[in-house]
Amino acid sequence: MHIPDNFLSTPVWATLDVVSLPAFAFISSRVGRDTEEGRIPLLGVLGAFVFAAQMINFPVGIGTSGHLVGGALLACTVGPAAATVVMTAILAIQAFVFQDGGVLALGANVFNMAIAGVLAGYLPYRLLGAGGWRKTGIFLGGFLSVLVSASLALTELLLSGVPMPRPVVTVSLGLFCVSALLEGAITLSVLGAIQRLNPGWVREHKPANRRTMLALGGVAVALAAVGFLIASADPDGLQRLGMQLGMAAKTTFQAPLADYSAPLGASAWVRRAAAGLAGLLAIYGACSLVGRLLTRPRSA
Amino acid sequence: MHHVTVDRWSRQESMLHARDPRAKLAALLLYLIVLATTPAAPTALLFSLQMFSYLALILAGIGAARLPVGALELRAMVVLPFSATFAIITWFAGDPSRASMLVVKSYLSALAVLLVVATTPMPLLMRGLESLGAPRIFVLLVQFLYRYLFVISEQAQHMRLASSCRMGTSKRNAAERFRAAAGAVSVLFARSHARAEGIQRAMLSRGFQGQFATGAGLHLRPADYVFLLASLLATASIRLAFPAR
Repeated sequence: MHIPDNFLSTPVWATLDVVSLPAFAFISSRVGRDTEEGRIPLLGVLGAFVFAAQMINFPVGIGTSGHLVGGALLACTVGPAAATVVMTAILAIQAFVFQDGGVLALGANVFNMAIAGVLAGYLPYRLLGAGGWRKTGIFLGGFLSVLVSASLALTELLLSGVPMPRPVVTVSLGLFCVSALLEGAITLSVLGAIQRLNPGWVREHKPANRRTMLALGGVAVALAAVGFLIASADPDGLQRLGMQLGMAAKTTFQAPLADYSAPLGASAWVRRAAAGLAGLLAIYGACSLVGRLLTRPRSA
Repeated sequence: MHHVTVDRWSRQESMLHARDPRAKLAALLLYLIVLATTPAAPTALLFSLQMFSYLALILAGIGAARLPVGALELRAMVVLPFSATFAIITWFAGDPSRASMLVVKSYLSALAVLLVVATTPMPLLMRGLESLGAPRIFVLLVQFLYRYLFVISEQAQHMRLASSCRMGTSKRNAAERFRAAAGAVSVLFARSHARAEGIQRAMLSRGFQGQFATGAGLHLRPADYVFLLASLLATASIRLAFPAR
């Protein structure tokens, strides 16, 4: 579910851009440090593979079919951090070249699919992947990655005040569950086939510290469940919250630059635009700084 | 395939093609933000006038780039299925002005993005992004992805064609076909792996140093500043010329 531009309200897309940019900068600097130069073509080609694999249809029955989304599959083969960067690259190309998903909404889409989706796809595998529950872990990974991404997208649309009657929300949640089940099944069978071809391609990990991982997984699942329940039980409440957030954002955006508006002699819009631009510049500066600090050679 | 068309467009020559990619990206961001924060105009007439002015701005860009207007407009319509679905829901929820705004604005945004991509070759766009601080690994990855997207997609199409030639999937039940599809995806994965190894060896033997050679560095010329200023003035004046509700 790629959200195009102008579906999310300004506070929502701006906040998610602000959240996603530093997170992505941090993750990609880690990947850049940990990845040997020789693996970069592999990551790029696997990104192209995820794109191309969507052409292969999986029959679901009664004439319909689905396809691989790929977040969990990538996380299980190249690792979660690299999978996040690859998914972000896919989303960026989809937004720019294919007009699939917006540019301002890129932060939201990256957050839903590349960050939260990949993490939700990897955690169950990390938790259960070592023992006899391996298959369950892989299936749950595929299932959760799609469910979490789609529910987040729906929540953001509701927060933005896109009016959605309750039946629509219920039907969408049902559809999300179906496609999530399908993604789980596809991930499981494809990963099994890949492992039969070459066991080394599927990432094996040292047994995790069970207790921390269980706690982490429990928190993640609880968060997802709570979000899911809130969204399904009270979409109107989310919209109200969205409106309140919008108003709060407006007042805080206006406040710092309020005094400068008189000499410009312009409307509130210029003030807000200037504040927004200043905010963007600040984010950009912070990200570059964080990126520089993180990528600094360790010997220095 | 249409992405090949976009790639061919981006390699033509014009006033807009010659601009620095950073200037185009900045102008795009400006346009998108201004459009996204434009409130609903008080009347339907004013609303359509304002949106037509925004459209005229992109059309002027397409004209300056000497690209086929109809083909670009058609390409940008890929957003319509998604936005039309939501527009219908919004309409039924009793907010027709918001519904038309969703459709028009998402279409205009897609058209603006398309104009920038159709006037900037991907390597230059990536170079612009890198000089704006995008992580190097991300820039490299996007370039590999874009380069091999078409290759691997074609391979997937060949596999699909070959499988239907062998009638491999027509007479079995759903579970068997599901397994066959999983097998096809895993073979595609294996082939991508093999291809990546070949690419890496070829690049190493040609002396790859971890950076693509893209020729001369980027320079912001006076014309780029003029372009940026003009886009700022044009978008801002459209935004301010119409009263908010």
